Amino acid sequence: MILAAAMNPEAFNCAQDAIARMRRGDPDALAAMISRYQHRLYRYLLRLVREPAAADDLFQQTWLRVMEKIGRYDASRNFESWLFSVAHNLAIDAWRGKRGESLDDAGDSGEAAGARLPSRDPDALERLLDFERGAMLAACMHELPAIHREVLTLRFEEDMKLEEIAEVAGVPLSTVKSRLKRALEGLRAAMDARLPGGPRT
Amino acid sequence: MSEHEASHQAMAEMLALAAAGALDIQEQRRLEEHARECPACRREMEIWSGYSQGLRRLPQPAIPAQLVERTRTRLVQERAAAADRRWDELMLGALALFAWTVGLTFWFVARIVTGGELVIMGANLVRFGTWSAGSTVLVWLTAAVAAIALGRRRREFRRVL
Repeated sequence: MILAAAMNPEAFNCAQDAIARMRRGDPDALAAMISRYQHRLYRYLLRLVREPAAADDLFQQTWLRVMEKIGRYDASRNFESWLFSVAHNLAIDAWRGKRGESLDDAGDSGEAAGARLPSRDPDALERLLDFERGAMLAACMHELPAIHREVLTLRFEEDMKLEEIAEVAGVPLSTVKSRLKRALEGLRAAMDARLPGGPRT
Repeated sequence: MSEHEASHQAMAEMLALAAAGALDIQEQRRLEEHARECPACRREMEIWSGYSQGLRRLPQPAIPAQLVERTRTRLVQERAAAADRRWDELMLGALALFAWTVGLTFWFVARIVTGGELVIMGANLVRFGTWSAGSTVLVWLTAAVAAIALGRRRREFRRVL
């Protein structure tokens, strides 16, 4: 992210300028930032909560919270990490309100997903390439626990560094690594289970 | 388990993280060195690499209609509501100050007019303590009525929106 900003200093300066104007309460700057991050933020929320209506509401709540807290935003921090962490916290609150538990509790049993799911098929991906790989991969990802969907989308779709993911999720770097590993193993196991010819048991 | 098998197992455990680019330089180098000698791990690396590429190209969700516009509208409404709240707080503060000023002024006037004594039901109403207690009750009652009226107005405003 920072590397990308360094490679495109004009875009970086533009974002910094918009953030500075937001902090002064400029509604146009806030509107510009909403437009700028709409796809990424909505995608992140949808991957996290899975329900479009909930993602829609959380998207709006996130910007309300941004408007409320922008005065306390530390400009030395990466804005994207901060924005996604605001969204993450709101999703946790919504989850707690709905289920009476935290997002972090959802499926993080400490056991490797690969250990709980059927054994791997080494040819899985090749066979998968003959099918609608993306759609199936998305469907398999949809089945994973929220914390695993979160790290996958932040790492692969948002292209965030592990440190940035740790900042968003509010967990140590080692936890991010273990979640990533479990998420990928769970994803692969889910893919193997879906493929014709299935996993060898 | 032989040393080679143990080493292979340790390397195999790192393959998923390697696909996520989550290994440090030394771990990555060790894994690559091992994979050069181990066809099974090379094959696994290719498979994990496929997952990595697939995850970067997942179908993208469509943004719901008017989401950005609805968010902007909600922000404008929230700004207006926040400004209203600030105004209400300011007004309540000003009213409370005004009530205290009026109460104090009337206390002075009442003391002058009554000569410092106005006894009703055994209590001297123009004593400072009695007067300020009465004024406090009156101010709080007025504030409560004002707060209820403001709350009703706000609920009405939200319902209209």
